[in-house]
Amino acid sequence: MKRSSQIGLAAAGVLLVATVWSMTSEDPQENLVYDSLGDCRAAGQLTAQQCETAFSEATAARLKDAPKFQSQTACETQYGANGCSSATIGGAQYFIPALAGFMLARGLSGGQQAQPLMPPTASACPPGSTLPECQQARSSSSGSSGSSSSYGSNRSRAYSTTSGRSITAAFAGGSRGGSVSTTSVSSRGGFGSTARSFSSHSSS
Amino acid sequence: MRRVTLPLRPDWVEQVERLGFAFHTIDGEIYWDESAAFAFTLEEIERDIEAPTEAIEQLCFAFIEKALDSEEILTRLAIPAEHWDFIRSSWQRGERNLYGRLDLAYDGRGPAKLLEYNADTPTALFESSVVQWDWLEQAMARGAIPKGCDQFNSLHERLIAAFQGLREPSPYRLHLSCVQGSPEDKGTVDYLADCAVQAGLDARFTYIEELGLLTDGRFCDGANQPIETLFKLYPWEWMFRESYGKALAGSGCQFIEPPWKAILSNKGLLACLWEMEPGHPNLLPAFFEGDPRCATLSPRHVRKPLYSREGANVTLMERGRVLDSDDGPYGAEGHVLQDAATNLLSTEGKYAVLGSWLVASQACGLCVREDASPITKNTSRFLPHYIEP
Repeated sequence: MKRSSQIGLAAAGVLLVATVWSMTSEDPQENLVYDSLGDCRAAGQLTAQQCETAFSEATAARLKDAPKFQSQTACETQYGANGCSSATIGGAQYFIPALAGFMLARGLSGGQQAQPLMPPTASACPPGSTLPECQQARSSSSGSSGSSSSYGSNRSRAYSTTSGRSITAAFAGGSRGGSVSTTSVSSRGGFGSTARSFSSHSSS
Repeated sequence: MRRVTLPLRPDWVEQVERLGFAFHTIDGEIYWDESAAFAFTLEEIERDIEAPTEAIEQLCFAFIEKALDSEEILTRLAIPAEHWDFIRSSWQRGERNLYGRLDLAYDGRGPAKLLEYNADTPTALFESSVVQWDWLEQAMARGAIPKGCDQFNSLHERLIAAFQGLREPSPYRLHLSCVQGSPEDKGTVDYLADCAVQAGLDARFTYIEELGLLTDGRFCDGANQPIETLFKLYPWEWMFRESYGKALAGSGCQFIEPPWKAILSNKGLLACLWEMEPGHPNLLPAFFEGDPRCATLSPRHVRKPLYSREGANVTLMERGRVLDSDDGPYGAEGHVLQDAATNLLSTEGKYAVLGSWLVASQACGLCVREDASPITKNTSRFLPHYIEP
C-alpha cells in the first residue's frame, strides 16, 4: 500500500491521542532563589548539605563583592532603610548591603557558585514604591535567620546583585523557594516585515 | 495518467470541514475540486514520480556540497554573505529536514520534468495528506471508483515519524509559526502541530510576528518562553534580510526547515542542477538570465525570479513575446530562464502540475493542482488522485 494505514487528527477529534507528553516548565536557564538558609532547607529542592554550601558561598561572595560604603546613611540611601549592615573587611569598618537572599543555578551543573542577593536599589524600588516586588523586599527581614511573611500565595520579590543588576524572583504559592529567569525579552517583532510588504503573497 | 470526471459528493463541504479543512474555498473561488480526479498506474507512480523524486533529492544534496564551497554559487543564488557560515554549519551538523515538494510536469508519456523545488515553505500539505486520503476512502465506498484503488500518500505517518527523529533527545519542545492573516498557512501549520503532538512533542504555536529576542540571544514566543526548535512557514530569504536576521546564528535554535534549505528553495537551483547534469531526463534546460547559453533555450521558455512564490512574477515567453505572466513583487535578485515544459497534462484548457512530496527526503506523496494557465498560481485548484488497481 502506498498510503498511510491510519489518519488520526487530534484537533478534529477523528482519533484521540491518549497521552500528550508535556515538557516540564523548567527552563535550564532558570535560577533558584532562597531568602535564607532555613527557606532553602524547607523548600526541599536541594539537600541540606547543598543549601549550606550555597549559603556559605553567597555569604563569602557578599563580603568580597558587595559595594562598600563609609557610612550607614550612604549605604541606606542606595539600599533602603535597614538595608545595610556593618562589616569589618581587611581590618576596616564598612557598611555593605544586607544579605537578602541567595541565588544558584538549577541543576547545579557547570560548577557555578551561589550568588548573594541584596535589597533592591533605590533606582529599582524607590522609597514608597507600590510595586508588589518592592513592598515584599522592604517588608521582610532576611539573612540566615530569615523569617519571611506569608507563604500562602504567589508572590514576587525584588533584589539586586553585587554587579548592581536588579532581578525579581517569583515564588509559587506556598513555596519558600523562588525562581528567577536570568533572561528577559529585549525586543519583539523582528520577523514578518517582508510578508507585510508582500501582503498578497506568502508561501508556495 | 488520465483525468477522470466524477460526481461531487453531495455533502462534500461537510465532509471536508469535518476534517478541519477550512480553506476549501479561497476568496470565493473553489480550491478543493473533486469534480475530477487523476488516475495513475502503480508503474507510473513508482517509476516516473517516486524514483525520480528521490534521485533529484540526491542530486540536490550533491549540489549543496558544491554550493557551500563556492562563493560564486552562493553569490549567484543571492544568499547574503553574512549568512553563509550559518547555512554551512547547519549542513555540517547534519540538521535534518522535515518536508518539501517538487513540482513536476508529467503527462504519463515520458519522464517527469522538474519545474521547481518548494524546499522551504511548501503548502497544500493538509489537503494532500488528509483530505484526499479521506476522499479516496469515500469514493471507493460509494463506488465512484473501483474498490482496491490506492493513493501515493503516506504523508501522515511519515510526518509523525519524521518529527520524532528531527531532534535528539525526543520528545522535545517544538514551536510552530507562520504569518498572521493567512488561513492557508495557518491551516498547514495547525496540521503539522497536530502531527507533532501525535509524535509525542510539546507543540506550541506562535505567529512569526510575535517572536521576541531574549537578552541571552535566544528567540522567545509571545509568552516569552524560550524557543529551542522552531518550525517556520516563513521563507529563509526573508528571515535573512529582516531585522532579526543578524540574531539567527546566535539564537541556539534548531530551525525546521534547516537553513541549508535556502540553497534549494531558490530558482537558481534549476540552472545549477542543469549545469551539473546537463541532459538529465528529469530536468529542463535552464540558465541564469544573462548567461550566453540562454540562446540555446527553446523559443518557448519561462522566466522565473530567483525568489518567487505561487507563480508570482513568472513569465512564459514565446520567441520574445509574453504569452502569460503573473504580477507580483519578486524579481529584484535576478532571474533564471527555463525551457517551457512540453509535457504538462492539459485537459479542456486546464493544465495540471504534479506536486511530489518528500518527508525526511523520502518520496511519499502526490498532489495535483490544476490551473487555467500553464503557470500554476495561487488561483490553482487541488484535485485528488488515485492509483488504479
